Amino acid sequence: MSIRKVIDWAVEDKLSQKVGNIASPFYQLYDLDGQWMWACDVDLGDEEVLRCVPVASNNRELIYAEQGRSVTLSRLNNGKWVITGLAKSLKSTVHYIYLSFTEDLYRVTQKLLKGYYIRPLTYGELGTLVPPYGYGVLPYGAQGKFKADGTFVEIMEYY
Amino acid sequence: MRFISPAFQDVIAARQRRPAYRIYAWDPSQVAISEIASAPSNRHATIPVPFDLTPYASEITWSDRQLSFTLADPGDLFHPDTGPYRDHLKDAAIIRLVEGDEALDEEDWITTFTGQIHGQIGWKKGRRTGQTIAKVTVFNRGETQAFKRRKITSKEYTVGTDIGIALYDICETFMGLTPKEIRLTEVVGRQFKHKVNQLAQVTPWEGICSILEVVCYQPYFDGEGKLAYVNKNLNRHPDLVLSDYTTFVETEIPERTQDAINKVKVTFLDSNLERVDSPYQQLGTAQVTTGFFSMGETLECWWSSDHKQRASGTSMRVVKSVNSGLLPVGTESYRQMDEFHGVITVEINVWVPILATVCLAEYLILAHIMDKVAGGQPVACPPGGGIGGTLPFGMTIPWGRVLQAQALIGILLIMMSIGSAQYEVWGTPYDYAYLEKQSIAIEEGLDYWLENEKEIKNDFIGTHDQADTVAVTELIWEKSMSLPRRIVIEDHPALEPGDIVALPDGRKMVVTSLSKKIKRGEVVDLTLDGGKVLAA
Repeated sequence: MSIRKVIDWAVEDKLSQKVGNIASPFYQLYDLDGQWMWACDVDLGDEEVLRCVPVASNNRELIYAEQGRSVTLSRLNNGKWVITGLAKSLKSTVHYIYLSFTEDLYRVTQKLLKGYYIRPLTYGELGTLVPPYGYGVLPYGAQGKFKADGTFVEIMEYY
Repeated sequence: MRFISPAFQDVIAARQRRPAYRIYAWDPSQVAISEIASAPSNRHATIPVPFDLTPYASEITWSDRQLSFTLADPGDLFHPDTGPYRDHLKDAAIIRLVEGDEALDEEDWITTFTGQIHGQIGWKKGRRTGQTIAKVTVFNRGETQAFKRRKITSKEYTVGTDIGIALYDICETFMGLTPKEIRLTEVVGRQFKHKVNQLAQVTPWEGICSILEVVCYQPYFDGEGKLAYVNKNLNRHPDLVLSDYTTFVETEIPERTQDAINKVKVTFLDSNLERVDSPYQQLGTAQVTTGFFSMGETLECWWSSDHKQRASGTSMRVVKSVNSGLLPVGTESYRQMDEFHGVITVEINVWVPILATVCLAEYLILAHIMDKVAGGQPVACPPGGGIGGTLPFGMTIPWGRVLQAQALIGILLIMMSIGSAQYEVWGTPYDYAYLEKQSIAIEEGLDYWLENEKEIKNDFIGTHDQADTVAVTELIWEKSMSLPRRIVIEDHPALEPGDIVALPDGRKMVVTSLSKKIKRGEVVDLTLDGGKVLAA
């Protein structure tokens, strides 16, 4: 660990805004202060989804925010993240370029596309993804999470 | 590398130098540094004649960022309060160092430093030593705090505008530079990819740094006080080839005690707006109250109260129809007008008001049919003459019935006018968003817990191709900086930051900073600090 890394962490901690995608329907959360509030899970583009993120109260912007929408998260003084509004940008896929260094030389060894995206399932997918298969098992409009290369990962929650 | 005249090049190549220098000073109240940097020479008609500090100067220490020297001042010429020449060394005074050779005219010399005094010079008179000296430190233009503190908001630049145009605009508007002070061409060859581009609430220096980051350049002010750049792309030919060790004084691999950056993450906004769908859902509801004497109703249905929500694949679901009664009295249709709203149209069939009118007329007419009453009733003679008679029963039209019929018609009209229906519109709401994309250049085989990341966030990068180039170039640059190199060679006035020097053993180093101590009539040692160049 270097001082630089410690400084990087400190800078990261000071970041007060993030952008993420709503990854679940809204639900009510009973917080530690004994209050009921609306919350949802937020996908920040990492492996794990950020769970139980409360919605800042009196936010009229979020009236029609739904699963998959891009939202801005702000950090409160106590270090917790809350959803504070809609964002015009959306987390997406990531290009990875791997380099190897040997002596005076470097070489690009691999290029990969990583990340996930969420989209409504097609008619074909609606009837073939979940047993007992066939149409009607999944409702029209159900959404699926896919890897950047198109590989199906999971069905998102739906009503 | 700086441009040096062929005559000067010959002198350097022949290694027959008789180095000379001049230190010039200008009073900032008479001329601006921009005018000095824009002037073709130090003694030009467009700028005041400089004050020559050379006879007084000694212990001159030069680097690409700072120039410091000592002035012998036996006549108290530069005393900050009383010296007659104090205005040439006051706050913001412009100082230039010009280096050349005694064998050459001053026209062939080159300006290796242009800067300003920040604050006040130090001045000291000692009784015991009998010395009167002034300590002067001059800073490069890049150290100007006004460029790095004041927040600005630039004009908007549309898609397709070359980034060089924005750069020139910012330099001229917010930094007071003239085109002659910018060593970049106005057409850099990279265009803005987004619809609208603007710098908002950043300092001018941050602004030009982020613009030049797109092309992997790092801005700095050169020796002439002009805006130049360091090209971080190390896949280029060396600027200076040292074919043997003749000019070498020292070579060193300095110690480095920091972790090297091994991952560079470039985050940018994709220039194309992407459609983002939400789940299929109810978008809105509509209720209509219509009736027999209304030929139809048109209802607008918006997907959100602020009329901003977009949706596609919309359809109407009839919760309660106008035809839910016994007779199908009309038609209900739905049409999506645009991405924000649709229209529900309820049309009442033509026969319904006609039938209603006919029925009401019939009701009124029938109210006039006479009733029979008990007892005879005389019948009047016909107009053509004859005898009248008496019928066995009487006939009458009660006035009250006609009035009742009229009242009933009124009530029926009201009742028939009221009919209600309820509709829902369903669809897939969506919105457009710029996708935040990333390109990550990373050392192969690196474990997650060993990553030492540097993040670059630049919204002027609009495509993955641009971001990939920036990420790879930055990682190689960081890797190069983690392998510091230092050489000391005979002074070479043409070298600048960003130059690549090829060493006799075939290796290369990129120069990031230069320094030397200038002495009269002596070819001084030039210290070059930088990093090892990694080639593809």
